[in-house]
Amino acid sequence: MIKLLSMILMCLCLAVPAYSDDGNAILQKVDRNLNPDSFEMYRKLINIEPDGSKKEFIMFTVKKGRDQVASVFLSPASEKGRATLRLGENMWLYIPNVGKPIRITSLQSVTGGIFNNADIMRLDYSAEYNCEKMEQQEGLLVLYLKAKTRSVAYDSLKMWVDNKKLLPNTIECFASSGMLIKTLYFKKVQDFGGGIVRPAVIETDSPLHKGYKSIMIFAKMKKKELPDEVFTLNFLSKVESLR
Amino acid sequence: MNRGTLKLNKKLFAFSVYMLGLSLTCLQPVFCQDDYQFDLSEIEKEIEKKPYYIGGFLEFRPVLFGLDRDSAFYKLRFFDQDEGSTLEQYNSRLRLEGSYEKGITGLYFRTDSKLWYDYQGWDGDITFLEGYFALKPGPSFALEAGKKVVQWGKGYAFNAVNFVSRPKDPDDPTEPVEGYYLAVADWIKSFGGPLKTLAFTPVILPVTDSINDKFGEPDHINFAAKLYGLLWDTDIDILLFTGKSRTTSYGLDFARNITANFAVHGEFAWLPGFDKKSINSQGHLYTEKSDILKYLFGIRYLTTNDMTFIIEYYHNGAGLDEEDADNFYRFVDRAYDTYLSTGNSSELNRATQLSQGSLSTAKPMRDYLYFRASWNEPFDILYFTPAVFSIINLNDRSLSITPELLYKPITNLELRLRGAFLVGGKYTEYGEKMNDYKIELRVRYFF
Repeated sequence: MIKLLSMILMCLCLAVPAYSDDGNAILQKVDRNLNPDSFEMYRKLINIEPDGSKKEFIMFTVKKGRDQVASVFLSPASEKGRATLRLGENMWLYIPNVGKPIRITSLQSVTGGIFNNADIMRLDYSAEYNCEKMEQQEGLLVLYLKAKTRSVAYDSLKMWVDNKKLLPNTIECFASSGMLIKTLYFKKVQDFGGGIVRPAVIETDSPLHKGYKSIMIFAKMKKKELPDEVFTLNFLSKVESLR
Repeated sequence: MNRGTLKLNKKLFAFSVYMLGLSLTCLQPVFCQDDYQFDLSEIEKEIEKKPYYIGGFLEFRPVLFGLDRDSAFYKLRFFDQDEGSTLEQYNSRLRLEGSYEKGITGLYFRTDSKLWYDYQGWDGDITFLEGYFALKPGPSFALEAGKKVVQWGKGYAFNAVNFVSRPKDPDDPTEPVEGYYLAVADWIKSFGGPLKTLAFTPVILPVTDSINDKFGEPDHINFAAKLYGLLWDTDIDILLFTGKSRTTSYGLDFARNITANFAVHGEFAWLPGFDKKSINSQGHLYTEKSDILKYLFGIRYLTTNDMTFIIEYYHNGAGLDEEDADNFYRFVDRAYDTYLSTGNSSELNRATQLSQGSLSTAKPMRDYLYFRASWNEPFDILYFTPAVFSIINLNDRSLSITPELLYKPITNLELRLRGAFLVGGKYTEYGEKMNDYKIELRVRYFF
């Protein structure tokens, strides 16, 4: 009987996913080092095609807590005023011509290029992923992250983290099949003031889009107290007024 | 239109398409540049906020119509002239929009200036779409007054609860409509727990002979309100319109993501004592009081290869039924026969007036199915979205199918090539439209 009980207990233990508590703690620190809990920022997105031609977008973004993000395009003129709100799994798109927000699927892309919504409207990594394993590799920590739910854009991530600064260096994003979808390279660590020191550039390439490259440059990131009402459907058309 | 003008117009149409292709080929190398420059101070200059904003686009849109000479609407329009089997139209438009913001106040406007050339020669108009003043003391409260579009409802192509706005065109649902003169407030409150947001939006909409005269009966002040809640991750609106300009209306809508790539939405509207219009076999319009129900259900589904499907079913209880439509089309046929035999066009003129009333809305009948499939950037072609959509009249089983290619090759330039093909038998909505097909190229340059 005792043997049977211990076998059942062993099976149960094996069935529970193995999480790395240290890894999850480090992931939370990485999140806080990448951005404060409540903040605003500007981002320039540059899509570069194999022939060298490029297209640029500028966005203003506010984020609060682990899962409240709102963004609005400031340029180019063709995209100006197009705003997106994400509350966890819920996502809405506001197009000025349409005059009302439309609920969209959270995996929907709001702009072209290799960056998708998961990158542009990113929640905290620790909100979407659990660290399953952590190891040391040539002076860097390597976190193996697994999506908490199936609704997350990338099923798993392999994140190389700077040991001392606790900032990501490279992230590989994988589909559930194990296929590499894209790689993010974090570059040019900058002091944005107010204790925010983080990479100002993320470069992205993808084996699915050979020769294409997307760049995200961060500017004027600063802490900002934001009321929850900012992250609502009714306020979405007015996000730009927070600037 | 004489043969010479017809030939000239066809050459002009072909020349427009050719010039567009040529300009794109020439433009491409200009934008070929090296990698990016990292200069935060340059970006900070770019994002500097100015109190004013002026923008918009310039549009050129040639359209080729393939005419159906046996259709009711062809007979109404061209009963006394021969326009051949095709018709060209050259449209240009300047959209101007702008704002001026100071502190918690702001002024906003949007105008459309159109100029077009067709078989009737040159014409144009200017429409003041929106112009309003806004007071925004904080994220929890806003007050806006002036000419403004207040769009309600969750539907993509149709809306049942759009109580204080002009209906959008299901063939182009993302195009703006003209606003009404009104005052609207927004009060927003966020909470923890299952009810995350509660928002109340009251509207005052006056109607006089000179203000909002198209809305309904004049010399009344109307009220509308919307109570929105985000409850258990579901958008829910409860809506009301009351006033003597239109029938009192009650509405409810919802939208929810079922999974990360699948969303559902719906709308219901109840209009007790609505003046429902019908057309009898003599071509006379009559109204009778009736309790009307409008509703729609829709889904949005995203596949793993980035194709989006939107499907919507819309029931408009206030729309014409099959018998009304049949009576109208038969009346047009009889009026046309009378014109051919006697030269008297008075019946045709009466039919035209009738068509500009009950049949003037984009989709005048009762039950429609909307289907749209679009594919975002297939085959690694960046900024390219092919799509096809269809609107099916479920009452008479006629339909339109519209394939579309949307391409944004360079910054601020948008090209859309679209062909609309109408399928339907005699005395059906799409069978009796003026054209069998329509091919349209739209070029927009944003500034």
